[in-house]
Amino acid sequence: MRDWLFNIHDGYLESLCRGFKNGILKNNDYLNLVQCETLEDLKLHLQSTDYGHFLANEAGPLSVTTIDDRLRDKLVLEMQHIRNHSVEPLSTFIDYITYGYMIDNIILLITGTLHQRPLSELLPKCHPLGSFEQMEAIHVASTPAELYSAVLVDTPLAPFFVDCISEQDLDEMNIEIIRNTLYKAYLESFYGFCKSVGGTTADVMCEILAFEADRRAIIITINSFGTELSKDDRSKLYPRCGKLNPDGIAALARADDYEQVKAVAEYYGVSTQWERVYYGVSTQWERVYYGEYRTLFDEAGNNPGDKTLEDKFFEREVRLNINAFLQQFHYGTFYSYLKLKEQECRNIVWIAECVSQKHKAKIDNYIPIW
Amino acid sequence: MAGFSYQRLKERGATMSEWGLFRSEEMSLCQLFLQTEAAYACVSELGELGLVQFRDLNPDVNAFQRKFVNEVRRCDEMERKLRYLEKEIKKDGIPMLDTGENPEAPQPREMIDLEATFEKLENELKEVNNNAETLKKNFLELTELKHILQKTQTFFDEEAQYHYVTHQMSEANRDDENAQLLGEDGMQAAGQSLKLGDGTQHVPDGIQQALLTSDEGDQVYKSVFIIFFQGEQLKTRVKKICEGFRATLYPCPETPPERREMKMGVMTRIEDLNTVLAQTQDHRHRVLVAAAKNIRTWFVKVRKIKAIYHTLNWFNLDVTQKCLIAECWVPSADTEAIQLALRRGSERSGSSVSPVLNSIQTREAPPTYNRTNKFTQGFQELVDAYGVASYREMNPAPYTIITFPFLFAVMFGDFGHGALMALMAAWMVWKEKPLGAKKIDNEIASIFFGGRYIILLMGLFSIYTGFIYNDIFSKSVNVLGSSWRNCFTDEEVHHHDAETLLLPPENRTCFYGTPYPFGFDPIWQISSNRVTFQNAFKMKISVLLGVLQMLFGVLLSVFNYRNFKQFSDLVTMFLPQVLFLLCLFGWLCMLCLLKWTMYSAPFEVGSGPEDAEAIRYGTHCAPSLLLIFINMFLLKDMNADAKGTGPGEKYCDGYLFDGQKGFQSFLLFVGVMCIPWMLLAKPILIWRQRRQQPHSELPETNGDVAAPAGGGGGGGHDEEEFSEVCIHQAIHTVEYVLGSVSHTASYLRLWALSLAHSQLSEVLWTMVLVRGLSMTREFWGGIVLYVIFGAWAGLTVSILIVMEGLSAFLHTLRLHWVEFQSKFYKGEGYIFAPFSFEIILREADSED
Repeated sequence: MRDWLFNIHDGYLESLCRGFKNGILKNNDYLNLVQCETLEDLKLHLQSTDYGHFLANEAGPLSVTTIDDRLRDKLVLEMQHIRNHSVEPLSTFIDYITYGYMIDNIILLITGTLHQRPLSELLPKCHPLGSFEQMEAIHVASTPAELYSAVLVDTPLAPFFVDCISEQDLDEMNIEIIRNTLYKAYLESFYGFCKSVGGTTADVMCEILAFEADRRAIIITINSFGTELSKDDRSKLYPRCGKLNPDGIAALARADDYEQVKAVAEYYGVSTQWERVYYGVSTQWERVYYGEYRTLFDEAGNNPGDKTLEDKFFEREVRLNINAFLQQFHYGTFYSYLKLKEQECRNIVWIAECVSQKHKAKIDNYIPIW
Repeated sequence: MAGFSYQRLKERGATMSEWGLFRSEEMSLCQLFLQTEAAYACVSELGELGLVQFRDLNPDVNAFQRKFVNEVRRCDEMERKLRYLEKEIKKDGIPMLDTGENPEAPQPREMIDLEATFEKLENELKEVNNNAETLKKNFLELTELKHILQKTQTFFDEEAQYHYVTHQMSEANRDDENAQLLGEDGMQAAGQSLKLGDGTQHVPDGIQQALLTSDEGDQVYKSVFIIFFQGEQLKTRVKKICEGFRATLYPCPETPPERREMKMGVMTRIEDLNTVLAQTQDHRHRVLVAAAKNIRTWFVKVRKIKAIYHTLNWFNLDVTQKCLIAECWVPSADTEAIQLALRRGSERSGSSVSPVLNSIQTREAPPTYNRTNKFTQGFQELVDAYGVASYREMNPAPYTIITFPFLFAVMFGDFGHGALMALMAAWMVWKEKPLGAKKIDNEIASIFFGGRYIILLMGLFSIYTGFIYNDIFSKSVNVLGSSWRNCFTDEEVHHHDAETLLLPPENRTCFYGTPYPFGFDPIWQISSNRVTFQNAFKMKISVLLGVLQMLFGVLLSVFNYRNFKQFSDLVTMFLPQVLFLLCLFGWLCMLCLLKWTMYSAPFEVGSGPEDAEAIRYGTHCAPSLLLIFINMFLLKDMNADAKGTGPGEKYCDGYLFDGQKGFQSFLLFVGVMCIPWMLLAKPILIWRQRRQQPHSELPETNGDVAAPAGGGGGGGHDEEEFSEVCIHQAIHTVEYVLGSVSHTASYLRLWALSLAHSQLSEVLWTMVLVRGLSMTREFWGGIVLYVIFGAWAGLTVSILIVMEGLSAFLHTLRLHWVEFQSKFYKGEGYIFAPFSFEIILREADSED
């Protein structure tokens, strides 16, 4: 029913977004980019892509930071354009996307002030998509309770923060816990919102968010080994909207080392029905991208030349986001576009870094999108 | 110099080939060998000439791996600096001198000078800007301080007046540090601080707003406020919050004399700063004014250099590294001019060896290049918008110049509206130069401007058709004297219903016997059957014009067949097509003409057999064309129901002339036979050819034709499968046969639109203007009329001229694209895009 009326409010933006998507660099572009000798070469090649003259007004010599900034600016401009033209519930959906960046910004600022960095140095590092008015007052707070009452209470993040309010001092550990608790609350809320939107949006987004939740759970577990974090506290940080919920999460909560995590992952992450139908022709593909989480573990390694587990997760995320474009009339396209574009920015920055440091051995470690 | 450009002009208007306007230019693919030293100068000359389309010979090479990538990059850098300069100039609102002069592309060695100049300018400007910025910041801070001191002064003065408040406050403030904050959004910050405070005395006092300018040139409103608090701990807190909300803190001396003293100091410093600032601004202004004089020329120069190197990147290096090889399409007629330009280029660069231009054979389809001038350009663009003509195909544009405005005018026929439209267009044509030089930002306005000649012709033709229809703002004028007059007495007129009175054409007192010399008789304006009469006429004329235009299209296809050496198609395609059209729809037109000419209203005719001939061709016996045409297909006899019962009507005949029935049957037979002819003749011919010519020898596809170095030669077109030939032919046949019917009907839109236009303008007249005109009794009738005329004029322009004009334009466009061009025009070519500085600069300008 909603699909009939989709185009009235969101048709223009969806088509715009799909148009933007076509500007995402192809494998061919990457092959050309890795051949670059200098950043100037990189700039010249990017000129022939959708990025056009986005670096034309930069005084030389180029630095990787400038490239990164301009890439981000372009993406932010596009997203803000979409946000400004959107109506409910799409606008809420896009706001939800920005909450993730707000969380990152808050954590960045708190960590920065903890290390006595001046605010003027920290602010430019914040992601513009997640900037909010009260952001700059953050360094007033010294405990989570203060943080809540002084800064966050008027922001959309306030409901997520309720679980973190305590009178403990902010230290490294606490910040990490706050970040993960916030993120957990955020993911669960976003998941719930997508469910309430329903239709294809729910189908597509819940799939992606579930994966995101599982990834966080697994990464948190792995990173917690050898720290002071108790198992009890750890289990509180797992987002409960993934496919691991509830049994897998319980199992993860008990895990003591990497092997146990891997054992848990073995049981989970079966691809969805339509994914299997779509890629049903090739079972190999299914194993690589749609198989169980196990394959991610199997193929990840710490030896040089191997991809890390994180990269594997990124790869799968990219796949999921590409799949979002296979269906029409849903909001997942906006989310996926942003994520794909971010991955692309990471790729370009990675290549630019390798080029500028003349360190070509690892230049192929980007994650191709198409 | 003048002689030089004149010579160029002559070169440009090179000899027209045999077919001139009617076909695109003959093109040839040429290989160009350029000495490495001379390449730059030669390409620069070619760019000025704008007649050569280069091909990219290294499509597989990355942009950054090409030969002249460094030069391109340097140009990019120069452009960036220029853009920076331009931005600064615009910021200061200094007019940029645009003399419209077109400097030659500078020599490569001049590039270093240019770079140095720009570098110097940019650095100077940046330094000045930096200085100005620091000064401004200082100035702003001081201004803020000044305001604070003023405000606090008044604040404390007011306080002193209220004794007990003073007492309280001074008590509280004795050991406090006073901090004045001046911050963007001060009120909100103050609100925040209230929330934090527990028990301490905060006196948030958003005092008056002071308008200040920030360094980016935006205006920021700031407000002064003052906070009182106790204790060191709170101080840090307050400070942090203030920082967080970008409020600026200033210390405030405690005693009034100190405050006053500080204020004095601040004032003097502000004055000093003002002078320094003015000097800096002055300096900046001087630099920018100097730059503004040259910036346009610099832009042109840099863009030309960049374009040249960009083109050079497409060239191949010879094995010996001594010369560059380029491939390009050139109009064959202009080879001379290009040779000349090349020679000039090599002379300028002082190269010993002159460049070589070799034409090479290719099977690739050349680009389509139609020479246009400012008049034909608009029409050519109308055609190209549908599809660029295949190479050397008949170009419909020249005919469109007349048929387009004409068909438009048939729909838009109104003298008044046409005259307004023509005047508007004439103004644009008259002011062409100043309007063209001024960049038109509005897209719609620039479209109208681009089509000014089309609009002018449309307007003029509408004036003509308006005369024919005798329509001026829906009214007729009696210029040449009507051929009718009232032949009834006053009594008759008054006694009868006006509806029932008829002016019989047979009556000499009513009708003079000779028609109105030009167009419709104005008498129709007041007749009640005007619309019926006009419909009959307009409908017939639409079909006539339509069939004529389609026939013309089919005839044009002959020239295509001849040009492409498809002589068999003359018999298998053209002949049946033209016969089909003529026998069926040509005959329909013939019938219209016959009916117009053969039938008239005779005077003094009796009903006896002696007047049989006169009766048969009199008004009462005119047969219905529709019935004749339908019965022609049904092979039914007309006479059966033609004989009327009125006086003398037994002499009526269903046919126009004797033997018509037989003739029509013959036409129908020929027409119908054309269908299998179209369908079968061509496939059979091909089939027989293929049987005689076994497949083993492929004619000259891999013969001695030198393949061009770059880009596939396209290879000979493979022979189609026989079944495909049949299917194609079937599709063409069906399309043509059905097309003839539907296209003929489609031309009726001429009538429909014309009817709609005249009716709409009449409605506007009677519903709006007449209301105003009928209010003449009182003096205020004039005022009302004044207003109503405004409404009528506005509606006339917006609805009748703009909207109706657009709709008639679209319908005309459709008639040309679909009905006319489908008869001969393939439009599968691609347009000739020459390397021309003019085009490059224009595009760059429009991007700005």
